[in-house]
Amino acid sequence: MSRLAQYRTMIISIISVIVFGLIWELSGRLGWISTVFLPTPSAIFQEGMALLRSGILQADILASTRRVLVGFLISAAVAVPLGLILGTSEVLKAVFDPIISIIRPLPALSWIPLSMLWLGIGESQKYAIVFMGAFAPTLVYIIDATKRVDPLLIKAAQNLGASRWAVLREVVLPGALPNILSGLKVVLAVAWTCIISAEMVGASNGLGFRIWNAKDWGNTPQVLLGMVSISLTVLVMDQIFKQLERKLVPWERG
Amino acid sequence: MILFENISKSFFDGKKQVQAVDDFNLRIRPGEFVCIVGASGCGKSTLLNMVAGFNKPSSGQILLNGEPVTGIDPRCGMIFQSYALFPWKTVLGNVEFGLKMQGIPRQQRQEIAGKYIDMVGLTSFADSYPCELSGGMRQRVTIARALANNPEILLMDEPFAALDAMTRQVLQEELLRIVDESNKTTLFITHSIDEAILLADRIVIMSARPGRVKDDLRINLPRPRHVTDQLATEYLDLKASIWSSVEEEVRQNMLFNA
Repeated sequence: MSRLAQYRTMIISIISVIVFGLIWELSGRLGWISTVFLPTPSAIFQEGMALLRSGILQADILASTRRVLVGFLISAAVAVPLGLILGTSEVLKAVFDPIISIIRPLPALSWIPLSMLWLGIGESQKYAIVFMGAFAPTLVYIIDATKRVDPLLIKAAQNLGASRWAVLREVVLPGALPNILSGLKVVLAVAWTCIISAEMVGASNGLGFRIWNAKDWGNTPQVLLGMVSISLTVLVMDQIFKQLERKLVPWERG
Repeated sequence: MILFENISKSFFDGKKQVQAVDDFNLRIRPGEFVCIVGASGCGKSTLLNMVAGFNKPSSGQILLNGEPVTGIDPRCGMIFQSYALFPWKTVLGNVEFGLKMQGIPRQQRQEIAGKYIDMVGLTSFADSYPCELSGGMRQRVTIARALANNPEILLMDEPFAALDAMTRQVLQEELLRIVDESNKTTLFITHSIDEAILLADRIVIMSARPGRVKDDLRINLPRPRHVTDQLATEYLDLKASIWSSVEEEVRQNMLFNA
């Protein structure tokens, strides 16, 4: 796309947002839609400023983000090496396949009761929920990425004297890395779904808790503010992840 | 030295058993450059894969300098038609790979790799990734990568087949120079009779499937050879006689596949 065409698309998008916001705002102010059910953008904005001034919003975003990151990273730290091994060993894959097949269809939310029983409603329970939601899909993505590494490259490495371990480290891991990263990006969004739900069920802070709590008080602007905050936070994390992707796979540029 | 002793190889294609190679015998002397020529499907690549240890023969054995091939063998440097360069490694990273696997310290292996990168004329591209190079340059990198590992034997599986005609000629000349310098035993598979005559000390013509040795010709054209030698009468006579031998097999193969 040319520079000019890029600007044009951007301007159209900005106008679209403004028009959409205006229609929303007007339908509230003119009484077409009840603001009790759908507050206006300006009301959400005011609520946001108030929560920012009191520091509550920042604290919630930080709490949810930290839970997502800790759970996600622990899951990745276990699933990535395990997936690489399972992807290259038929025997071990046969051992783990039944377990994965049973855990995988379970929604992470179905772990909430058991995890609360085991761990209470503290931080470790939140990490556990994210972990349970992220682990199985991560593992499946990694195994798949591993299997898609060009077998000719493995042959070439073995021909140059690479041991089994060296093939894994020098060929399978970097060869699978682009697909691993795109898989992890999808899982990161899944992790957010998990934490918001877990916070709605049992927590004393975080964006999920804030939304649920606001609903109980009939504070719809705060409910929507919470939703907008989730959306923006996930977008920002996604961008950071994309930058990381560029750094980690420089050979895929262009 | 490579010794093929009564090599047979069959495999299953679906439910049908296919005899790819049948009772293949060949002795390649140290330092010899042998081209195997044959119709497609005659088992040339299968043979090469067995020398490298990627496949096992169904019966018979292959000896490298008297020792049988029992697994993937780093004594053979393999050069693939589709390059098989590691896309995440730079030219230098690719060329030093074998040395790294041997546990040679970084500075020393970079020195050795640099020498071979220089040999194939890519010094100014040492830090480039393969995706930034042309096909001809990539194949130069694989040659450097194989040589840097100092194998006893070079195995080349139609290495220039994917290149355009002009790039191919340039690379053939370079390979002639490199092989003359390094004097490595080389087994080279090709479809091109011209390429075989230009490069080989000996041309082995394979029969249509199942592959056996049909003809074994010594090429006595003087060295160093050049691409322009392909215009000499001596060369053209050779080409005509090889073609008549190969043609039968190609025709038979076409019938076989029809």
